[in-house]
Amino acid sequence: MKKRLVSLLMSTVMVAGTLTACGPQAGGTTEVTVTDEEGNEQTVNVAETQTGEVNEETGTYEVKDLYIVVDGTLTATVDNGQDAFIEQWEEAVGEKLGHEVHLHINQVDHSDYANTVSRLLTTGEPGDGSFPDAMIMSASMYRDYMNTGYLWDMADAYDNAEFQSRIEIPSINLNMRTADGKQYGFAPTYGNGCVTYVKASWFEQYAAATDGIDKIEDIDTFDEYYDMLKFFKDVKVQDADGNEVQTGGKTYGVVAAGFGKLDEAPYINYMPEFWQGAYPSFYQKDGVWVDGFAEDATVEALDRMAVAYADGVIDPDTEDFGTKQAREKWFSNDQTTSEGVFTYWAGTWLRTLTDNMSKQGVDDDLGDDRLLQLPPIKEIKDTWGGYLNREAPVWVISDDGDDNSLREQAIFDALFETMLDGDRVQTLWTYGAEDVHWSTKAESFTTNPDDPEKKKDYEYADGEFHLKQTPNDPNSVWKKNHLDPALTIAPLTNGFVTDDPLIDEGNQFFTANCVDAPTAPSCQTLTDNLEALTTDKTTLMIEVVTGEKTGEEAIAEYNDKWGDVSKQIVDELNAQGTEAPEAK
Amino acid sequence: MSRKKEKVNVNKKPLGMRIWNNRGFYLMFLPVFIFVLIMYYWPMLGIRYSFFVYKGRDIHWVGLQHFASMFSEPEFWIAFRNTLVISIVKLLLNTFVAVVISIFLNEMTSLFCKKFVQTVIYLPHFMSYAVVAAIFTLFLSTSSTGMINETLKSWGWIETSIDFLHSTKLWQPVFYIINLWKETGWGTVIFFATLSGISPDLYEAADIDGATRLQKMRYITLPALANTIIIVLILNIAKVLNIFEPVFVLYNNRVFEVSDVISTYVYRKTFMTSLPDYGYTTAVGLFKSVVGCLLMLGSNWASKKIRGRGII
Repeated sequence: MKKRLVSLLMSTVMVAGTLTACGPQAGGTTEVTVTDEEGNEQTVNVAETQTGEVNEETGTYEVKDLYIVVDGTLTATVDNGQDAFIEQWEEAVGEKLGHEVHLHINQVDHSDYANTVSRLLTTGEPGDGSFPDAMIMSASMYRDYMNTGYLWDMADAYDNAEFQSRIEIPSINLNMRTADGKQYGFAPTYGNGCVTYVKASWFEQYAAATDGIDKIEDIDTFDEYYDMLKFFKDVKVQDADGNEVQTGGKTYGVVAAGFGKLDEAPYINYMPEFWQGAYPSFYQKDGVWVDGFAEDATVEALDRMAVAYADGVIDPDTEDFGTKQAREKWFSNDQTTSEGVFTYWAGTWLRTLTDNMSKQGVDDDLGDDRLLQLPPIKEIKDTWGGYLNREAPVWVISDDGDDNSLREQAIFDALFETMLDGDRVQTLWTYGAEDVHWSTKAESFTTNPDDPEKKKDYEYADGEFHLKQTPNDPNSVWKKNHLDPALTIAPLTNGFVTDDPLIDEGNQFFTANCVDAPTAPSCQTLTDNLEALTTDKTTLMIEVVTGEKTGEEAIAEYNDKWGDVSKQIVDELNAQGTEAPEAK
Repeated sequence: MSRKKEKVNVNKKPLGMRIWNNRGFYLMFLPVFIFVLIMYYWPMLGIRYSFFVYKGRDIHWVGLQHFASMFSEPEFWIAFRNTLVISIVKLLLNTFVAVVISIFLNEMTSLFCKKFVQTVIYLPHFMSYAVVAAIFTLFLSTSSTGMINETLKSWGWIETSIDFLHSTKLWQPVFYIINLWKETGWGTVIFFATLSGISPDLYEAADIDGATRLQKMRYITLPALANTIIIVLILNIAKVLNIFEPVFVLYNNRVFEVSDVISTYVYRKTFMTSLPDYGYTTAVGLFKSVVGCLLMLGSNWASKKIRGRGII
């Protein structure tokens, strides 16, 4: 009897435990009376959620828990002071709103971001505690999602936002609006883009060996650029032990994360000198949408890369490399199989790449002058006008579909309004947590204290804004958090600015040499065929570059298979009647 | 006789009564039963989405449309063919080489050598496929970091690098070699266990009869292994359609024609677009399950024919 009783009890406990996960979920609606701006009372149905509720006294929706999904652009990661960031954000936002808000950050793998967001949106319901209330989206993702019903139209909220009076670049957000004035995303910064970096020590050797080339600005045309790349196949570099070695053909001119990244706009920004005026996607040309992949410019670009690949100028690893692998090979401590040129993000990345070379002990004698920024070559200037400034990544708010904007407006107020408040919360998003990532207190610290060559002392007076040592790497100084202060559409009003001349130089260089990238396309047929199109175009591109096909053969094959679909996409895009944004 | 009758009577008690009589056991089984229902059978309800478009919030019935598009897609049939070819060749090769190595190990007289070789060939099994792919991609690269190509060039055997992992002719052989390197050692465990169980009396009798080493292998060792080989093949044949990880980490755009398998095809269709149609990929998954089920029944039938008893 005892045994039976025990077994009965155990079974009950286990069944109860198993069923715990099947508890009530968010769902249904509650009828509440709210007062509109004119003071009229009205009854609306508000979706019941576990993350917020209508305050019956004020008639406003109060977000209690805010679930956001971010990618790697939030640099205050879990092991880099995210707890302090959240704590200070909750305190500052709680004070502004007059009620507590708990911020829950789901920071997912940067390279798998789009997939994860797709899964989160498909498997949950707004307000269920795991569904993202707000999230970051790239321009391409944004175009894919904006007509799905997942995203909230924030045009009115944006127009009425407090930060409007401080916005210096309104076109970034206004350009995202649909023809009928809907705006599903909010870009707190402009997009940034890539510039071509050349290792100064390699360039010095080229300049010394070449008549008429003294400074990086002398590389003006593709032919001159290509000659430099060819020279880089045999240069004097340091090996892993720090010895100087003549590479004798083992080094390469350039490396990148793919010959073209056809799944991420603006597609051509890692190899701009080879792509020149080509754009292997749908884009607006003189106000009309065309399929850039089928154009002659693409054939020519692919053939140019094929020649460079055959000449051993492009590192063959480019075919398989992601950005991390390409970066790491480029600044590796063993330079004997490396490359001289790498096109990568502008601004803060100039500092990051320089620091990484320093960490690897590459060209230590050059200090912060390790890298040269190559101005856009003539062929880029004559076509696009400069390096492409990608469409800005945006923040979006999920729509709960209850036909009113109470929850969504509350999320906008808690997250976006405060993100550009010019003061405390914007500082959190820009530089991170006070006294963790930055401080205004008097202090002194030393980076690389054990390495006499790299040791650097920092000393700051009381009240002087400065960035502190990176929490998980005391040998480097923190650079920024999510918002790049140089790219933000509404600058800080508290006067907090970084004092890194290298980052300033990088930002100024890009700003002086960039133009806006074409608008990403969005239509039903494109969305339906996007994966297959991207896969086939990438395969054809690689086959041409590696010499398996000619550019003309590849485009003919593309037209055979995708001609009809391409035409349908172009027709749909042109029927939308949207205007191309004006260049900056 | 009367005792037998009584026993029959007990068994003929109504089901409800029998359950009540054993209610303690049934109660203990209940959590497991519920767990299986929730974790294994409830998710199967998702099969219904293969008859729906399931794209974001756009969910609507389309009947057999996904199956029609799937069967009309050349890429699907390429993936289906590759799945069968790659899995079956891999299975046969791995089994054959594992048997050969097991026999060699069994013939080794030095215990130290035997243990050393076993340890060396087991180790790769414990490395993840991602690491294995990274190592081989680096070794086989056509860049100046590629050890194999650079060595062959320095020996003067080749002038230009061989693109092992991007050639449609070489990808599958290289894939099989990498798999052999990684899994054969572990595959020998079961055969080696069988070999250890062969009675030494048989070998002694063969020695007395004057049998050579090869004759002992042919007439004693191989027949003793035959049953195990068949079981291993039969058990694995039902799983051939599940191949994903080793292909996923080693394939690339240029070799889709010979490397794309059903799972990688589904992965691309699902995860390489920001708004996938889960209905379509569920349909492909369902088709794979049906074929897998048929293979399982075929294996069971083959097992019954060969061994006299089934595996399920």
